[in-house]
Parts: sequence; C-alpha cells; structure tokens
Amino acid sequence: MKDDELLKNEKVEKVLSPHPLSFMGYQALSIYLIIWGILFGWIVNFSEWQGSFAGNFWWSLSLWGIGLLLVGVIASLITVRWSIFVLYLCVFGSGTGIIFWLGLQENIGFFAPVYTIFVSIIGFLIVEVYRRSHKYIISNQRIKFKGGILTKRERTLRYDKITDINAKQSIIGQIFGFGTIIPISQSGFGLGSDKSEAAGGVMLGEKKAKFFGLFGGGKEVQTPRARSYYELHGVYPYKDIKKLVEEMVQGNVITPYQQEQVAFQKEQVDIQKQMRDLLKMQSESKDEEEEEEKKS
Amino acid sequence: MEGSPIDIIIFAPLAPILGVLLFWFIQLLFIESEKYLLSKIRHKHEPLCRFTNFLGILFQTICHALGYTVTKSGISDFYISVNYGRVAPKKEKKGIFEWISNVFLSIGPFFIPAFILLICLFFGGVNFEIITPSQVLELKYTFGEQITTFGTSLHSFANGFFGFLLNIDLLHPGHFGFLLLLIFLGMGMRPSYIGEQKQEKVDMLYDLKNIWSLIFRKPSYFIILFLTAYVFFYVSLFLDQNWYVALFSIFGWLSIIAIISLIVADMILLLIKTTDEILGLWKFMPYITMPVSYILVRLLFFYFPTDYTNIISLLVMILSTSLITYLLLKTKADRFKTEIDIKMSEKKDKGENNER
Repeated sequence: MKDDELLKNEKVEKVLSPHPLSFMGYQALSIYLIIWGILFGWIVNFSEWQGSFAGNFWWSLSLWGIGLLLVGVIASLITVRWSIFVLYLCVFGSGTGIIFWLGLQENIGFFAPVYTIFVSIIGFLIVEVYRRSHKYIISNQRIKFKGGILTKRERTLRYDKITDINAKQSIIGQIFGFGTIIPISQSGFGLGSDKSEAAGGVMLGEKKAKFFGLFGGGKEVQTPRARSYYELHGVYPYKDIKKLVEEMVQGNVITPYQQEQVAFQKEQVDIQKQMRDLLKMQSESKDEEEEEEKKS
Repeated sequence: MEGSPIDIIIFAPLAPILGVLLFWFIQLLFIESEKYLLSKIRHKHEPLCRFTNFLGILFQTICHALGYTVTKSGISDFYISVNYGRVAPKKEKKGIFEWISNVFLSIGPFFIPAFILLICLFFGGVNFEIITPSQVLELKYTFGEQITTFGTSLHSFANGFFGFLLNIDLLHPGHFGFLLLLIFLGMGMRPSYIGEQKQEKVDMLYDLKNIWSLIFRKPSYFIILFLTAYVFFYVSLFLDQNWYVALFSIFGWLSIIAIISLIVADMILLLIKTTDEILGLWKFMPYITMPVSYILVRLLFFYFPTDYTNIISLLVMILSTSLITYLLLKTKADRFKTEIDIKMSEKKDKGENNER
C-alpha cells in the first residue's frame, strides 16, 4: 500500500497474497490436461494398443476428444459449472482446427499430446497471473482487497462494519497451512446462496385428449461466499491471520460495557455544559447588578 | 498324513498365525523407523508430515467405516481432516459387533490399504504367477509342514512381486501409478497419529498397548476368534484342502506388500533428510538426477535395444542418485566441511604442540 493511500493514523499490519496452491480448483484443470496429454501420447505411441491407432486418424481424434470432453462433463456435473466443459470443448475444438488447418492428421500422436500439455502450461500461467493480481492489506483500521487481471477490483471494509467472520480450510489448505477468511459486512457483502430446485412433469392421455402438468419447488440457503478478490482467499499462515482479523474486529467494535461508558460520559459532559451555562448566567447577572449599583 | 496327533491338533494351526505375527512385527519396526525419520524432518517439511498424517487418518477412517459396514451398523457420519477422522454408525451396536468394528480400526490400517495394492497387482494387468502351497508340497498337517507351506507361499509371492518391482517401467502410466500408490501407502501406514504437539510416547510399544488393550478388553471374543481359526483348520484338514494356510498366506502377502511400501517410503524420507543437509540450490540436484538419469538410460536403450532395460535403468537411476547425493554431501554440505575443518585444526594444534 502506498503512503498516499493510507488514512490518518493508519498503520499496515500485513500485506498478503493467496498461497500458490490456493487456486487448486483451476490448477486441477491444467493438471488433468497434462496427465491426459501424457496418457494419450503413451496410448497412441507406446502402449500395446498402439497398432489400433497407427494410421487411423479418426480413432486417435475420437480418443483424444472423449478423454477431454467426458472428464469435462463429469467435472461440470460435480461442480455445477458448465464453464469447465466449455473450456475443454474449446481446447478440443481449437486443437482439431489446428490439425486440419496445418494438415497434421498423420502426426496426431505427436501433436495432440504436445498441444494438450502446451495448453495446460498456458492455463497454469493464467492462474498464476490471476493469483498474483490479488493483494490483501490488513491495517489497523480496515481491510483492503484488491484483485483482477484486466479489470482491477477493490473493496475496503472497516472493522466496525464486520458482523461475522467465516473461515474455511480445504484438505490441501490444512496440509500447507493456508485457508480462506470471508468477512461478512452489515450489508450482507460476503454472503451468497445455494439454490436447489426440483421439478416434475406429468403427461396424461393418448392421441387427442392430453393433459400436461408441471410442478416443482426450490430451496435457497444463504452461505458465506465471495469472489476471491473480495475475501481473504487462501491466506498463509491461516491461523495467525484469522486471529489477527478477529482481534482487529474485536478491538474496533464497541462492547455493551463500553457503550454504557460512552453514554455515561456523554451525560457527564451534558451536565458539565449545563453547569457552565448556569455559571455563565450567574456571572452575567452579577456583572449586571454591579453595573446597576455603580450607576445608582 | 504324518506327525503326532498333538502336533496336528494343537500346534499345526498355530504355525501360519505365528508366521503372520512375525511379519506384522517386522512391519511395526519399519513403521517405527518411518516415524523416527518423519520426526527428524518435521521442522523443515511440516506439510509433508501433515500429508502423511492425513493419509494415515484416511486409511484409519476407511477401515473404521468398513468395520461398521461389515457389522451392518451403517454409517451416519463420515468426517476427515488432517488432524482428525470420525466415523459414526447409524445403529449403535454393542458386543461383538462393536468389538469387530474396533478391530477393523486398529488392525485394518496394517492390511486393508495393502489389499488395494494386491488387487491392483492381480487385476491391473501385472503378470506374475503366484504359486499356491499345494502346488509345491504334498499336503501335510504338522506344525513344521504348515510353516514350510506358509513360507513357500510367501517366497513364491515375494519372488513375483520383487520381479515386478525390479522390472517396473516408470514410463508406463500404470506402473508409475502403482509406484505412487505404493509410496502413499507406505507414507500413511501407521496406527498412531503424529500430532502438531509432540507427545512423549507415541512409539511401537504405545501402538501395541493400544491394540493389546482393545483385543483383550473382551477376551471371550478373542478366544472365539481363535477357536474359529482352529475349527477352520480342522475343516481344511478333514476335506484335505489347505485353505487354512492359503487364508493366512494372503495376510502374509499383504504384510510383504506393506513392508516393501514402508521400505520405499523410508528410502524417500531418508533422501529428503539427507538432502536437507546440502546447501543452497544444490539440494535439488538428487531430485533432478533421478528422472533425468532414468530417461537418459531409457533413451539409450530405445536406440540400442537390449535385454533387462527396465532393471538396468532403475539401477542406474538409484545408483546415480545415491552417488550424486553422496558427492554433494561431501562437497556442498556444512557437516563434512566442519568435520574436515575440525580435523585440520586438530592436526595443526597437534603439530604446534609437538614443535613446542
């Protein structure tokens, strides 16, 4: 944080970035590409089934595509994010396009693994750039979140506005000592929702007389969730940071006892003000009396 | 059928049990050495230790869940973290069912993960013949013959298993996956948890005490189990089928797999511990040497094909890594330098004293 960004009496406690393994969800997509690239290369070129693929472009292309798309569908269904399937479809589609464009049908056994691994390396680099774009600044007055590759996003949260702190640690996080802390603000920033829906349809009758009905229902559960640039995503060392944030929040929130003290002090000040006014009035009236006496 | 009746009726069933116990103790010794190595590298490799803990807890939790499944208690809650694992049954069953599920929890981690590898060996396209005892010996039901049959079965299995391991092709995805599984199994196989806070006595005796107290909490169940084994032996004897030794041979095979996995894991931990003593970036040299030397030798054999390529490549990899590590320890580590310096200064001191 630059000095000109600091507020009056503000002191930076910690400047953090997400742990290199904290974006494992995205990195896993690239890891699979590497594994599949190597496996496909081995199957087509070195395994006992290599004879089936030698000189058979369509077989090789089908195998490569199935390996990418099938896992894409499975991963999408598990995570409920079709972007994974679309991503793998793009990898497969662009790879196929390049093969036909450059006429590499004969060399698919070499090109497809190299291309898949190359794409995965690009994927790793993008994830790394994205990770490095994140910066979390914990000062004695607020937490500042920064992130984004092209569009720079920023969020500032004062400790007295934090109502709740949610913290979570994945298995990898537990092993490497990092975790995610989501401060939830009074306005509900830091909360998302999980929605589950079920629907059923009925079709009755045959030929002419038909009856169709559809019924369903949904349920929504609020859950702590935020974009990685609006939460303390994958911060290390997790336990220390969590403690620091909790202490900061505690230090900036007025407890009921403190509230009573403030109210009492306010009352005292009011009484003193009243007394001052009375004294002023008294001295003024005295002065007036003296003046009148002098005149008389 | 030869041998005295006492030998056949009382002592012969004990033979494979004692054999399995022997191998299990060897397993415990290697677990002990692994725990020692982990405790030595803990301060520098905390995530690795946490990972091995996680593997250990994972195996234990799976075994416990399996125990509840076998006893038809059902599983209502399954929770696992790096520090703690919990399995809760749907139905709280008492008596022998509870005891069996606890036996699964305490003894299962020694054998059940190894069973996964055994299945991989049998069904994963790995070809090696396992000779059953009946193929080797004429069936005789004395203590000596039972232990010999047990030993022969283990010997034939070990021959096949070592043959496979020595000829493992690290460029074959299946073989490489098997090796990774073997390492993970070795890393996580331990009954006790190495926590963040150091405990005074988490050694082999501690583990044994836990198992002992669990088994002998209900001695009647243990006696029933023992008697069941004897009954099974007599059934095998009357039907003239050596099922009894075959059953215990499977436990022996599992022990061999577990011991090998522990040795491989120990070697890796030893390499990590040794490379920690090497200064700077040189410490990564052995890890680079390992794959590079293997791939280079495989490439050489690709262009100049010969017999035993896999085993030679593996040996070259192990030897070159060991040699590089030793040389780096001699030249790039603090320890040897200090030792030499101390020796030199001692010599100097002696020389000065002599001059005086």
